[in-house]
Amino acid sequence: MLPITEGAPLRDRGNLRVKDAYLQGVLEGRNHLVFDGAMGSMLQAHGLAAGEIPELLCLSDPDAIRGIHQSYVDAGSQVVTTNTFGANERKLGDAATVDEVFEAAISCARASGARYVAADIGPTGALLEPMGTLPFDEAYELFRAQAVAAERFGADIVIIETMTDLLEAKAAVLAAKEHTSLPIFATMTFDETGRTFLGTDPVTAATTLCALGVQAVGVNCSLGPQALQPVVADILSVATCPVIVQANAGMPQVRDGQTVYSTTPDDYVAAVRPMIEAGAAIVGGCCGTTPDYIARIARELEGRAPAPRSVKPACTITSAQRTVTLRGREIAVIGERINPTGRKKLREALIAGDLEMAVGDAIAQAEAGADVLDVNAGLPDIDEASTLRALTGKIQAACTLPLQIDSTDPRALEAAVRSYAGKPLVNSVNGAQETLQAVLPIVKHYGCAVVGLTLDEDGIPPSAEERLAIAERIVAAADAHGIPRHDVLIDCLALSTATNQRETLQILDAIALVKQRLGVRTVLGVSNISFGLPARPVVNATFLAGALAAGLDMPIMNPLEPRYREVVDAWRVLNAQDEAGGNFIARYATYNAALPDAGTAPTPGSGAAPGADEAGASLYNLVVAGNKGPVPAAVERMLQDTDAMQVIDEHLIPALDEVGARFEAGTFFLPQLMASAEAAKAGFDVLRRGDGQAQDGKGSIVLATVKGDIHDIGKNIVKMLLENYGYHVIDLGRDVDAQDIVDAARAHDCKLVGLSALMTTTVKHMEETIRALHEQAPDVQVMVGGAVLTEAYARSIGADFYAKDAAEGARFAGEVLR
Amino acid sequence: MESAAQTTPSLHIDRSQALHFLGHQGQDVSDALVERVERMCAHCERVSQPRWLYRIFPIEHGQHGVLVQGTTIVLEGSDIAAHLDGARSCAIMAATCGLANERELQRLANSGGVDALLFDAAGSALAEAAADACNAQIVEEAHALGLHANWRYGPGYGDLPLDVQPAIIRVLGADKYAGLTATDANLLVPAKSITAIVGLFDEPQDSHRSCNSCSFSDFCNLKKAGTPCYR
Repeated sequence: MLPITEGAPLRDRGNLRVKDAYLQGVLEGRNHLVFDGAMGSMLQAHGLAAGEIPELLCLSDPDAIRGIHQSYVDAGSQVVTTNTFGANERKLGDAATVDEVFEAAISCARASGARYVAADIGPTGALLEPMGTLPFDEAYELFRAQAVAAERFGADIVIIETMTDLLEAKAAVLAAKEHTSLPIFATMTFDETGRTFLGTDPVTAATTLCALGVQAVGVNCSLGPQALQPVVADILSVATCPVIVQANAGMPQVRDGQTVYSTTPDDYVAAVRPMIEAGAAIVGGCCGTTPDYIARIARELEGRAPAPRSVKPACTITSAQRTVTLRGREIAVIGERINPTGRKKLREALIAGDLEMAVGDAIAQAEAGADVLDVNAGLPDIDEASTLRALTGKIQAACTLPLQIDSTDPRALEAAVRSYAGKPLVNSVNGAQETLQAVLPIVKHYGCAVVGLTLDEDGIPPSAEERLAIAERIVAAADAHGIPRHDVLIDCLALSTATNQRETLQILDAIALVKQRLGVRTVLGVSNISFGLPARPVVNATFLAGALAAGLDMPIMNPLEPRYREVVDAWRVLNAQDEAGGNFIARYATYNAALPDAGTAPTPGSGAAPGADEAGASLYNLVVAGNKGPVPAAVERMLQDTDAMQVIDEHLIPALDEVGARFEAGTFFLPQLMASAEAAKAGFDVLRRGDGQAQDGKGSIVLATVKGDIHDIGKNIVKMLLENYGYHVIDLGRDVDAQDIVDAARAHDCKLVGLSALMTTTVKHMEETIRALHEQAPDVQVMVGGAVLTEAYARSIGADFYAKDAAEGARFAGEVLR
Repeated sequence: MESAAQTTPSLHIDRSQALHFLGHQGQDVSDALVERVERMCAHCERVSQPRWLYRIFPIEHGQHGVLVQGTTIVLEGSDIAAHLDGARSCAIMAATCGLANERELQRLANSGGVDALLFDAAGSALAEAAADACNAQIVEEAHALGLHANWRYGPGYGDLPLDVQPAIIRVLGADKYAGLTATDANLLVPAKSITAIVGLFDEPQDSHRSCNSCSFSDFCNLKKAGTPCYR
């Protein structure tokens, strides 16, 4: 259920419940706040067995927990943190309910007499999709139960801490934001590389969490305070709310069976002092810190007010691993390729539920130098919301660039930005009241940046002044929704100069006006300008240069087109973004004025073209040798006097058969089989480009790694081989439910399903899946493979065929789908 | 009582072990393939952040398995009982190539092909190297205590169930200090991770493992070829 577009009840964060005036002062940056130190280390000192669920002590030994809180309050903690770090349904299991633990824990904390009680929410303990197997929505539900309990039983603050996954942190923040009125503090933990285990840097963490609207942001656990200096400095440089520091007392070491920490209370305070002087306002401790540390911190902060900070507002967009920041006149390129409009193949792929082509487009654009990627799944015949969300997740797994989520459907926008790891750019709103009312609440709630198009109910006005007027309306509406000006970008909309020649310079004037008058950034889709003209790249590149000069910040363009890239690269020298032109010189030192055409294959080398026979022999040898590089050229040469089917049947397939035979005989091993498959694929790719029908004619096969299993390399090998033999493979991935496999087999009318399982413990899911397939799709045959299977065992669980390796799988496919 | 994960930037992937994991049994390997293996091993060394941690606990053989004292861990099954028969204590260990390795593994798997295969094998070899480094520290600490270590025995091996994984992670704090998690099916993420139990004895032990109690023993290709997965 999406809170905004589907009307689910949403808390008004304007009615934040702040316990008293002092805490209000903390949130406004006027007061310091002293947190407490470690709970876990204290419990272990009390004799907690390793591996025990420490939160259960709130129920079984509340006096001990209250005693620990009490010792922190006596030392000077203004806030105590409840013993609920791992008190989620997943970790507690049957031992206790979330409500029971939170009620007891908050009552222990309250009984200590602490001024404020912060309800602790730690990570779920499982890794979220796509890296792990926990779906975003399930993580959200775990956090929701905790947040609701926190407020119900009387906590004053929710503290989300020790997060390493930005998306998991976002799920927790959304749960607290959507179901409570409590102030939300959020901290992440960074390792010695300065990033979290999942690769999030401090600037990205703070930027994203602040945009989501937390009341305080910072770092906990991680390293000792000395090692955290640069992390805290980065957070202070971007955080628009108070900054929290809760370091470890150095790194724990076991000495003579006892855990000891290297940093003394005096060292700790000495290391934290410069952070306080730089503006850190909320200070406590994490692992290894005790009331002694807190007493020193409390003394340090006594009678002081937080040091003033000034954070320069900047336009930022983030992924989980990267922040794109526009400073001064710097520019950033938005790659436009992932958009089915005008791209037949991408459209067909998306309709078929195949997201891999789009992922390939993402990687290619990233490699070509894009800074942000536009993602659009706007097709009439699909569920755009679920497709856009799935596509966004899939691209984020493969590529670290921040994304621009592009849709006219508010429901699709919300579905995608909700589970997006980072702060996305939403494309778009326009001057029509309807879209402003529908989309701006999404932008605000999920902490996005937004593109506003200068059009409204009456269309696109011709003049610069009229476009400015619409931009003013958009900016005013954003202001009214509490969206900061630096998160608004205006698109002045390029129209074809062939039909609207008189307006073209108005577009450039509008860019300059919007920037001057409104102080916002601008984006612009460049390619429309040349519609209807020949030599479109030339027109586009010229217009792009003009737009950059007028002040355009983010062109939306095809980064694979060399002419546009040249303009961008050169501009970055002229605007001093490419300092001393280092990148430009590196790339263009051997510049050849003759432009290669985008998208055409490299031409074969000089010398007499070999005859078809010679090319055929060499193609066969190249595939057998697994030498992919020269294959496309060899296929191109053959196509001059051979048809595509002949290339496949007389050269590629015989080569693959030979490789299969060598693999069978043990003269080839797996990487050689795969290198040949890769080389053959390079050949098939050329043939596909040619007439588009040379392949995929032999039938469809569903492949999946069964529920519970996450080892999918074997399945991926089978997939590559099957595709080479001309089958259309529907790859459902890993950890796949039996019913999803049945549904896919029926939807694609498949006669063959391939299942893999690597663990003895997951073979039972394989058996269940086979049973479900045989019951619901009786004409489907099932082949199975995986390290723990044998022929006999495969038969006993009802499989029709056991493939001991990928080559056998391909052979069986040939029998079933002949 | 948790301890920080250990790490070292100099952990090296044994190329021949990586080839071995790929099923190499003496086939001719072209220079191009050797170069590719080298490239992906180097890439794996560069992107991975191997970490390991361990703790030593006294043990007691109980009715339902081996009780690891001072923890919630009960090691069930006759094979682990045999592995720890006569042991005074045991080391519980975890080693991982880290989430950066997992991310790259999944990214490459997406594009398929040889690089994914080679990176996967390189990761397996790197996880072994991290486990070896951890094991060496255990042996060293055992020596200081006047004890002798046997080989490392992992959950899922023999009849030691995988469902002990979450407890191992909790006891070591491996989630917090090494980014290690278990799925609902008790598989480790990052996939290139190893958890194990090493017995510590008064008398010197055979420090090598064998195929005898491995559940893959009946159909393992490496065993068949006379080149088992351990050294």
